[in-house]
Amino acid sequence: MDQKRLLAAIAISIGILLVFDVYNRANRPDIVAPAPQASAPAAPAGVPQPSAQALGDSLTAATDAALPPPARVAVENARVQGSISARGLQLDMLTLRDYNETVEPGSPLVRLLNPRGRTDGYFAQWGWTAADGRTRVPDINTDWRVAGGPLAPGQPVVFEWDNGQGQIFEAEMRLDPNYMVSVVQRVRNTAAEAVTVLPWARIRRERTPQIAGFFILHEGYVGVLDGRLTEVTYDAGKKEATTRRGPAFEGESAGGWAGFTDKYWLTALMPQDPATRLRHSFRHISDNGVDRWQADIALPAPQSVAPGATGELSSRLFAGAKEVLLLDAYRSTLNIQDFDKAIDFGWFYFITKPFFYGIDWLFKLTGNFGIAILIFTFALKLLFLPLANKAYSSMAGMKVLGPKMTELRERYKDDPQQLQREMMALYKAEKINPASGCLPILLQIPVFFALYKVLFVTIEMRHAPFFGWILDLSAPDPTNLFNLFGLIPFDPPAFFHLPAWALIMGVTMFFQQKLNPQPPDPVQAKIFQWMPVIFTFMLASFPAGLVIYWSWNNLLSMAQQWWIMRKHEAKKAAKA
Amino acid sequence: MSLARLKQQDPAVLLLRGAVRAYQYTLRPFIGAHCRHYPSCSEYALEALSSHGAIRGTGLAVGRILRCNPWHKGGYDPVPPSHSR
Repeated sequence: MDQKRLLAAIAISIGILLVFDVYNRANRPDIVAPAPQASAPAAPAGVPQPSAQALGDSLTAATDAALPPPARVAVENARVQGSISARGLQLDMLTLRDYNETVEPGSPLVRLLNPRGRTDGYFAQWGWTAADGRTRVPDINTDWRVAGGPLAPGQPVVFEWDNGQGQIFEAEMRLDPNYMVSVVQRVRNTAAEAVTVLPWARIRRERTPQIAGFFILHEGYVGVLDGRLTEVTYDAGKKEATTRRGPAFEGESAGGWAGFTDKYWLTALMPQDPATRLRHSFRHISDNGVDRWQADIALPAPQSVAPGATGELSSRLFAGAKEVLLLDAYRSTLNIQDFDKAIDFGWFYFITKPFFYGIDWLFKLTGNFGIAILIFTFALKLLFLPLANKAYSSMAGMKVLGPKMTELRERYKDDPQQLQREMMALYKAEKINPASGCLPILLQIPVFFALYKVLFVTIEMRHAPFFGWILDLSAPDPTNLFNLFGLIPFDPPAFFHLPAWALIMGVTMFFQQKLNPQPPDPVQAKIFQWMPVIFTFMLASFPAGLVIYWSWNNLLSMAQQWWIMRKHEAKKAAKA
Repeated sequence: MSLARLKQQDPAVLLLRGAVRAYQYTLRPFIGAHCRHYPSCSEYALEALSSHGAIRGTGLAVGRILRCNPWHKGGYDPVPPSHSR
């Protein structure tokens, strides 16, 4: 049977792996950061403005190359460093001090925001649109006067610009000790006439980021608007913007938040006061084939500022890592509705979130995220043990049935369906049944899926090492069977990636399956047999932490079965 | 055309049966067949949907899955005949 041959091959591979792991360490392939894309297009073109009316064209104009470099205000706390360009009022440089690009020593810090004009341009900007069509508003080339700096916790910075027509524009910025920037935008009208302006804030992204592209993880536009979680992927957003010839998404909300989510990072805009109603938009344009994106907030209607009065918009920008506990804290202290949903906990939020807390607690206790996963999985299995135990308590009676079963198997070996029926009749007659039933299995599926999902989405697993060659549980296992785990200097194409842990998973799954009853239908049975092989290849490119979890889960299932069976044997022996 | 045949052509029944079939060929081979009954829960669901329609069929199937636990004796448990005229 070729199945057995395959198994032997896998077993031998693992043997080789274990022996040569030591050599492998020196030969580990470098983890390469995504290559920078081709050169930047000359000028960022007109992404629609954060207002339905196309206003303030000057904002979309190219930065004038002849101007001197803009003044910059440093942004700094213990977790971020960067700067705000005083020209155009843009926060366009931000580095996360706690996160490195790769696990290599000396790897650069993660740069979340980058200036306009770079291919990876990604920045936040605050501005106004002249709703009356005549008020001079600041634009992309406006050089703001800066009071204070650097921007640090407890040290606000005020940007000011006088339009020469009696209106003074002001932006007062504050930085907290983590990833939150608060901004109050003000227009002071000293002229004799009222002006009508629309204050807004936006996040622009000059290209579609590299996405993980797994269907269980949302990347793109995300927000909680009027209590509803809103998610628009880049693909869907592009399609929607193209067919509607307008925003990919538009909605009004009191409070809430919205912005761009990556697997681990988030930028989001929100009002400071959860009662403030704002219009949120997600926009896309195609600029010579390059996708430009924008998430913005604005007042639902322009504000009229009477002579001597001041118009205001108070908003916040989050730009940083999606750490669960931090988002939780913002949610409760700043009243940001469901801010933790920026992490894609999915439909099973009510299970996935508590699971995260459990694993995180174990992580802090043990200091190793991999160990935390193993312990947590073990605890879950323990929870379901009574169910499994109950199912197998009838196993003791199986011994008596042995001869009768063999007889049935012999008689109906060509008709598995009939065999199944006869076996069921026999179980009923003898009042025993070795299967655990569909209900317990169906109940367990969401639980184990939830665990899987938690491991997939949380930043806490990023760059967390396990043992041996696993330096990053969130990255695929770098070893590969096809270059004999680094023994031969061969760099196989991406398709031929069969890492050690995927093989271990395949083997454990194969043996674990042997203990499971096969589906009676021959086609299903065939699929059943190939499952371990399919999954070995499928999980090859998955984060190592997941593959380790899966292998461990299989091992525990086997151990559980073995333990229960032994227990019942012992009981029976004691009785005899 | 028999009533059972009519019910089978109900789009809701077709959709639900399709979902059960999909389960049989994807998830079931992965998790293994653990059913304590004959016919198995998925076979039972297919039959119940065909003979009792989408709503009653779903109800019967859910009831069956709830029965399929270690505290139930299991064994031969066919879909009850349809009493519709």
